[in-house]
Amino acid sequence: MTEDKQLQDELALYGVHLTLLEQVYNWGRSNSLWPLQFGLACCAIEMIASVTARYDLGRFGSEIFRPSPRQADLMIVSGTVTKKMAPQVVRLYNQMAEPKYVLAMGACAISGGPFKGGYNVVKGIDRYIPVDIFVPGCPPRPEALLNGIIHLQETIRRQKLSGPGKARHADRDQPSEYAIPEEGGRDLVPQYNAETWRPSWQGGGK
Amino acid sequence: MERMASHYRKSGGRWLGSGILRGMGVTLKNWIGSYFDPSRLVTVCYPGERLPLPENSRSFPFLIYDGDDPEAGLRCVACRICEKECPPECIHIENERDENGKPRKRPAVFDIDISVCMSCQICVEVCPFDAIEMDQIYAISTNARFEPLRLHKEQLLKPNEYFRELSPTRSAAADARREAERAKQAKKKEAGKKG
Ligand code: SF4
Ligand code: SF4
Repeated sequence: MTEDKQLQDELALYGVHLTLLEQVYNWGRSNSLWPLQFGLACCAIEMIASVTARYDLGRFGSEIFRPSPRQADLMIVSGTVTKKMAPQVVRLYNQMAEPKYVLAMGACAISGGPFKGGYNVVKGIDRYIPVDIFVPGCPPRPEALLNGIIHLQETIRRQKLSGPGKARHADRDQPSEYAIPEEGGRDLVPQYNAETWRPSWQGGGK
Repeated sequence: MERMASHYRKSGGRWLGSGILRGMGVTLKNWIGSYFDPSRLVTVCYPGERLPLPENSRSFPFLIYDGDDPEAGLRCVACRICEKECPPECIHIENERDENGKPRKRPAVFDIDISVCMSCQICVEVCPFDAIEMDQIYAISTNARFEPLRLHKEQLLKPNEYFRELSPTRSAAADARREAERAKQAKKKEAGKKG
């Protein structure tokens, strides 16, 4: 009965609040998303701006940028991921505790952006780690990042912890760590993680 | 004591930690001041309030049409100059074709991949028909990378009135340019008739 959203909202008008443990859990998680403190390029400047008094990311419970991956919930990949940096980004992701989320900020993090034809830039971080939210822009305004975080909060509030279609971190069959790409002779090895990303010629493409 | 005093003299009156104290003083002044002066409350509560954007602020390109019908008033003639000039190659255009397969001067497909677009405005600068302009929408975020971030012609088409509102200066210049061009064409036609 408590899954009936409409009835729940109606009852809330009369001061009766029904809830599921899942919803309390999701509410708590969505309002304390501590980002990992690292920036990769120009997008990081906008990320810093979004924590200043003018935009104040703290209003959404994300003001504490953690310098340690063990304490962080959200990885904001803000900027160009070079082939030299990609192993470190994946390693940091592997070190974060579940539940963890990734927000790809800006054209470079999503697809390689202006450098997508270059020899030294990863063509999208979603090839290596599962990305939850994509925020396009070059760079996105601080408000755009806030919008992405609000979107992520909404996504988290809708997540299921059991049954079919449950969240990634609640699913034991889904990996929590991914293969770390290493510098090969000409390209990263592996070129992409098959578990996260399958190129179109292998029948992939989200 | 002697050493501390000499350190103080040498460092020009700056102690270790004095910078932090000064910074906290500014915060304290703003906090107390905010009870008396609302201009010290600087936070713009984003989803509810928004900062007004400067006129030249830009995010992603859009296509302009004249009049009410997006298909009839479409300015773009599918000359594909912007597709060639776009540095990260994120514009994709396909011409409309008639029965014989001859390309018409209209785009059947006009896609911009905003997951790649770097808001450089080069497409706007090279377009000879003022058909493409920069938008100011920024509140975009998606759960997937490919399809939702690929804007199609239907999503890109916006009326000229929208552009006038967005950027009065630039749209006035574009309108004047188009008007002058039309007058020139009309004159040519007249001259052709006479001759
Ligand atoms: S703004 Fe620049 S990157 Fe974006 S579509 Fe135009 S030319 Fe391409
Ligand atoms: S937008 Fe302008 S430059 Fe691009 S194809 Fe259309 S008319 Fe040509």
